Amino acid sequence: MGHHHHHHHHDHAASGADVPAPLDLSVPDAELSPTEASRRTFLRNAGLLGAGAAASSVLAGGHAAHAAPANDHSGGGTGGGQANDGEFVWLAGDHHIHTQYSSDAMYRVVDQAKHARAYGLDWIVITDHGNATHSRIGVEKVNPDIVETRKEIKDLLVYQGLEWNIPSAEHGTVFVQPGPNEVAVLKQFETDYDGSVNGTSSPSPENEALAIAGIKFLGDEVRRRRIGGALFLANHPSRRGVDSPHEVRAWRDADPTVAVGMEGAPGHQASSLPAPNGPGRGRGYYEGSPSAASFPGYPLESYRTWGGFDWMTSTVGGLWDSLLAEGKPWWISANSDSHINYLGTSMRGPDSDFNANGKYNDPVYGPLITTAGDFWPGQYSRTHVGAQAFGYRAVMDAIRAGRVWVDHGGLIRGLDMRVRRLNDQRPGAGATLGGTLKIKSGTSVVVTLDIDLATVPNWAQFVPKLARVDLIVGDVTGPVTDQDTFTAPTTRVAASFEVQPGRKRVSFSYPLGRVDRPMYVRVRGTDGNRSAPGLMGAAVDPHGPAMDVLGDADPWLDLWFYGNPIWVLPS
Amino acid sequence: MVLRQPDLGPAILTATATAVTVIGISLGHADDAAAEHWLHDVVGVADLPGLVACTHLVRTPRPHVAISLAAPDGLPDLPATPADLVPAAELAADEHRAGRSGRAVRYPGVDRLVGTLTVAELLDFSAIEQVIMLGGAVPEPETPVQTRDFVRPQWINGVLTLITTAVGPGRIGPFELPDPTPCCADKH
Repeated sequence: MGHHHHHHHHDHAASGADVPAPLDLSVPDAELSPTEASRRTFLRNAGLLGAGAAASSVLAGGHAAHAAPANDHSGGGTGGGQANDGEFVWLAGDHHIHTQYSSDAMYRVVDQAKHARAYGLDWIVITDHGNATHSRIGVEKVNPDIVETRKEIKDLLVYQGLEWNIPSAEHGTVFVQPGPNEVAVLKQFETDYDGSVNGTSSPSPENEALAIAGIKFLGDEVRRRRIGGALFLANHPSRRGVDSPHEVRAWRDADPTVAVGMEGAPGHQASSLPAPNGPGRGRGYYEGSPSAASFPGYPLESYRTWGGFDWMTSTVGGLWDSLLAEGKPWWISANSDSHINYLGTSMRGPDSDFNANGKYNDPVYGPLITTAGDFWPGQYSRTHVGAQAFGYRAVMDAIRAGRVWVDHGGLIRGLDMRVRRLNDQRPGAGATLGGTLKIKSGTSVVVTLDIDLATVPNWAQFVPKLARVDLIVGDVTGPVTDQDTFTAPTTRVAASFEVQPGRKRVSFSYPLGRVDRPMYVRVRGTDGNRSAPGLMGAAVDPHGPAMDVLGDADPWLDLWFYGNPIWVLPS
Repeated sequence: MVLRQPDLGPAILTATATAVTVIGISLGHADDAAAEHWLHDVVGVADLPGLVACTHLVRTPRPHVAISLAAPDGLPDLPATPADLVPAAELAADEHRAGRSGRAVRYPGVDRLVGTLTVAELLDFSAIEQVIMLGGAVPEPETPVQTRDFVRPQWINGVLTLITTAVGPGRIGPFELPDPTPCCADKH
């Protein structure tokens, strides 16, 4: 851990008579009691105060990425994370994992946790499906298992969460910072806001409003101090075409300290391994077609994965970019969605009664499974977060800040991306993933990329070779009038860098020139095995990911990494 | 032109240029599978020669699947469309008649589209007029099509079109799968 360069907050007025003093920005820091001052620092760090809390756009004057260093870390050690830039501890994790408390899964919490740790993860989120049985039994019953696992595997952070059936939409991960009320808050959230529990999954304005209310509930629970933090990320967002662009925007705007992103890549990445030795399905189980519940504007292309990634993320100039071009912070992740794993050798415990017990009996040794489409947590998909410490809050803060990059199959080991003033070559200078560089208009700006290449074999026993890195640049054009917009016309691959083999670390830089208008940059890289012109045309993305072939896509032979964006705002 | 025929209640009749009537009906089916089930089991569409029966995704007054039927020799009596779904039934009939949209479940030759056929055979055996790859490319006539015994072409610009994707080296298959993995599936 090193120093942290300081950003300045621009706390906009947010006062009210019923607001506690730490939340009331009309009360200066100096007038707070030490306890209140500490509380304010915490809220500010968590992005829950002032501009960080209110802003749904980087244009509005900063967001959670500008959190100052936390000063009450809830853990110690580095958990195997690698502080490759000397500033952050990079911790790999997975926020989408099922256990025997899901009706379509089977493993114990500790089974998932032990594998996650062995596969190199530092943090995981247990996300069993929300439904009537789970809200009644599972959400409480899983907690002692999680608490026990935290004690047993001390260098792994284990969050309790939920796979939320978002009213009117798809699934999403919801998770909270551990604490005395973690179960109570999750249970109340699930009971009141889960689409399966309440029969509100079908699309309608009323159900969309319930989803918004659920997100606001979580934010309120944090502000009421019942929990230390809560996050929501949309899972497999394009799988069924039911997450419309206006819903994604509305979630984010409902509370940008809670609704922070989506799976850039879905789980189930083994599902497209060819039969008979594999499931022979669509990669990520993306194999559906439009239904009456789908957003009618989505093209058929959105129902398939592209290089293992969701169409919203994989399309340069597509839905994700349309949010970033608005200046709307919205981050991507990559997870296992592990239910039942490919080449597993266990089966559900005999004599299980899921409905009565809220869980399956502990798994037992069983026949080899070649028809399951999931990897263990960390085996294939990883979400890397740049935390300021190893700890529950620090990881959530880092996710909220968007200091996140994702990879498949261990394609790279580390990523340090910066946008900096041309004359500022100090390590750690400028803005990194999820951040914003504010400059005087006309200042010369450069993007720098330092990438640690894979040096050891991945979990398929080969050393992945990064072949190409693409830098994607787009103008920030401000709020859209049509909330269902899912294109960003100015965004394109601005530069591509070939990676010469045989090196441990590669560095690239790309001058943005004298920046006189708001823009953003993001990065993507590939093993170069499969590519095709992007959906917006070869002029936008000459060598993008190719659509995955149903039943014939080996995930180990088509590896990509993606970074979250950095904005440049001239004034 | 939209006609209301008294003996069919609110079911909607329209006339195509070739004078084949197109009937729209909407019973609020939740998804394609439910609509197809109704077509097979209730209407008995398999026994109606020359029939083209389509499903249509409709968002109002609530998301559901409407149905259109076009048969040269007429259709059996069909149940009445509930009043609130009449616009959906009208929409389905209009879309079918104009060839703008509609996913064909029954059409001449559908029963011959089983196993693996070439593109040329598929066009020869059935009423499908065009096979394209997702993205617009046109496959060669000799390209094998893995039908999965489930071929659902759709109306695009007046042409009954099958959209396909690659399913392996040199092989294509319909974009739509008969058995997509459902969400929260109990996979074992």
